[in-house]
Amino acid sequence: MDPELDLANIAPKSASRRIEEYENEDEFGAKDFSKELELKADHINRPIWIAPDGHLFLESFSPVYKHAHDFLITISEPVCRPELIHEYKLTSYSLYAAVSVGLQTADIIEYLKRLCKTSIPERVIEFIKDSTLTYGKVKLILKQNRYFVETRHENVVKILLNDPIIKNIIIHQDLSGDGNHLNYDQYLANDVGKETAANDMFEFYDKMDQDEVNLNTKQKIYLFEIRKEEIENLQKRCQEIDYPLLAEYDFRNDPNIPNIDIALRPNATLRPYQEKALRKMFGNGRARSGIIVLPCGAGKTLVGVTTACTVNKRALVLCNSGVSVEQWKQQFKTWSTADDNTICRFTHEAKDKPIGAKILITTYSMITITGKRSFEAEKVMDWLKGQEWGLMLLDEVHTIPAKMFRRVLTIVSAQCKLGLTATLVREDDKITDLNFLIGPKLYEANWLELQNRGFLAKVQCCEVWCPMAPQFYREYLINRSRKKSLLFTMNPNKFRICQYLIKLHANRNDKIIVFSDNVFALKHYAIQLNCPYIYGPTSQNERLQILQNFQHNPKVNCIFVSKVADTSFDLPDANVLIQISSHGGSRRQEAQRLGRILRAKKDSNGEDFNAFFYTLVSTDTMEMYFSAKRQRFLINQGYSYKVINRLGHLENENLFYSKKEEQQELLQKVLMANESEADEEDIPSNVRSTAGSQVFRSQGTLSSLSGGDEGLYAEVRRGQSSKEKNRHPLFKRFHK
Amino acid sequence: MVKVVKGTLVECDSTMKQFLLYLDDTGEVGGKFVLEDLDDTHLLIDSDCVERLKEKIDDLMDKHTYVPDK
Repeated sequence: MDPELDLANIAPKSASRRIEEYENEDEFGAKDFSKELELKADHINRPIWIAPDGHLFLESFSPVYKHAHDFLITISEPVCRPELIHEYKLTSYSLYAAVSVGLQTADIIEYLKRLCKTSIPERVIEFIKDSTLTYGKVKLILKQNRYFVETRHENVVKILLNDPIIKNIIIHQDLSGDGNHLNYDQYLANDVGKETAANDMFEFYDKMDQDEVNLNTKQKIYLFEIRKEEIENLQKRCQEIDYPLLAEYDFRNDPNIPNIDIALRPNATLRPYQEKALRKMFGNGRARSGIIVLPCGAGKTLVGVTTACTVNKRALVLCNSGVSVEQWKQQFKTWSTADDNTICRFTHEAKDKPIGAKILITTYSMITITGKRSFEAEKVMDWLKGQEWGLMLLDEVHTIPAKMFRRVLTIVSAQCKLGLTATLVREDDKITDLNFLIGPKLYEANWLELQNRGFLAKVQCCEVWCPMAPQFYREYLINRSRKKSLLFTMNPNKFRICQYLIKLHANRNDKIIVFSDNVFALKHYAIQLNCPYIYGPTSQNERLQILQNFQHNPKVNCIFVSKVADTSFDLPDANVLIQISSHGGSRRQEAQRLGRILRAKKDSNGEDFNAFFYTLVSTDTMEMYFSAKRQRFLINQGYSYKVINRLGHLENENLFYSKKEEQQELLQKVLMANESEADEEDIPSNVRSTAGSQVFRSQGTLSSLSGGDEGLYAEVRRGQSSKEKNRHPLFKRFHK
Repeated sequence: MVKVVKGTLVECDSTMKQFLLYLDDTGEVGGKFVLEDLDDTHLLIDSDCVERLKEKIDDLMDKHTYVPDK
């Protein structure tokens, strides 16, 4: 099946709806809304502006900021959140998310009216109505192994019951009267009270907080049962008539999946924002599927563990690397009462026996691999497919390609899905698919706010400009693009600055991670500076050993890592990050890397910076462009970058490559490196078969096997530098 | 025969000097223009080329500057 086509069916038609652009612009692109909007007399007390193009501007210094912020986060997407004025944007996705957590069209408009300094533009109201009228009105609930459709709206009941397809799926309790005059009230479940009207502004804001939680108890609820075997058809039909079904899981009343009896340990205390995120998820006593966005280091794992404990059903945790599988297991053991018998890892390295596990932790690639598996792995997969899972936790959910993701969803059936991520941006704009594959975004935290409250480290972001060495620049201009990137990464001035920064911070007893996407550079830097390094081919054991040493051994202050460490590498003590090469202009990578040092530091006194994020950029090269592009996401989160164009005293330090000749030698090495080495590392996804056969077979002539091929001689003739490069560092020393 | 060419002294950082030499080599501005390579940061060039070189350098700078499209 064509995945693209398939995706089109997943998102309702109206999801592509947008507010039309505002055309009344002056010559500088400024838009004049003053004629359209009327300023209210008490505008000073109100915190937001609404532009007719759907952008909202929130004053973060307003006394009611906190309430308004919570509300805006629910109904709109944050665009840019610097210190004083925050910008949000209404999109049909964000509104979909809002209704799915229980807000209603009328409420949204009413709240906005109260918060807005001006009258609300007509087209914005229209847009909200269009986007929310049909969303989130119908819920699919699984209760005691019976499926129910729940809705709070009488007119929706009418539509559903009169739909030719849906009519046949519903199990009618009592078919009295002719088809056109069904008695809708028979489906009425409970009818409690009316909404209370709040007059006072502040009382009103408080009510807003409560509302999302209590809405369900305040209104009429229609319930009707559905034939289980027709579930798929119902979902498809509802999508077609633009009433997408929201899935909620009534885990407390589900005898089908046994409880796994784990609970949070008393030492696990949730931070306020984590609680808030969880409240959105379990708002009405059932579990909603959706995505929670928290910055790296803000305790995503704890949120995940808490969810698993709350749902208390068989849980499947998916992460994107073997290392993070270990870390999840560790976290489960620290925060919950789950022990080795409950938790199982399903990776090609772990020797656990996953069948019958209550909590299964595995990787995306392990589930989706299409190649041949070992007999045992095959058995596990069969078991996994046959199970009904209570909860599926999806770690770093933005990193997986939509295609792979759909495979996961077809293989595993789970009642409730929770996606966890730090950065809901992708360069390919496939994010929106996630909303419909998993569920709406339930919560998104504000980075700066968490930083100011001490939950995250205070990070100073620096962009350090390294002038290109002239002979390197010359080659840069001549060579083709793949070599170019190697040249600006290997720029000797960059090397010197990197060495200088490592020295500087090592003297302060900081823990330093150096990132390089380019493996050639990674090895060269690490070997020259005598530091351990981790990249794709590094074995699991060696990785863990290096990470252990980095954490506990005071002699290991600095490690070099390639992009394998971008996500889910937990390095709690690291507080300095130096980036020497990166993946083009990827905003997500930048944010993920910053995340490696975001975990709150012990000595945070709230005043000074206690973590440093350096990006080394070779001036006058494409790196300048990439660097600026990469920073966009973090700048939108309110971070600011400090540009350092000169570091003092470089000459006085005893650094490598201070002489022209040494630089020239380095240049020769770089030029000798073949093109494949200049490339970024391809992450070998952990897709290796569990059968674990490591033997490679290749065909060759006898002469080539005995070293008689011309290629080998050519290398010798070209001088020693390329040979030297392949030599073990230890032997290199002997040959000097 | 004596040939007179009006020259301009250019002072730049060593990277930019490499760029100018590169342009000189490839002939992108229409032939050779460097009259004398003085030292790391100085060049003597043909005055006629100055305007075109300025354009070239602007292009280079533009290429390395990221403009958010929003």
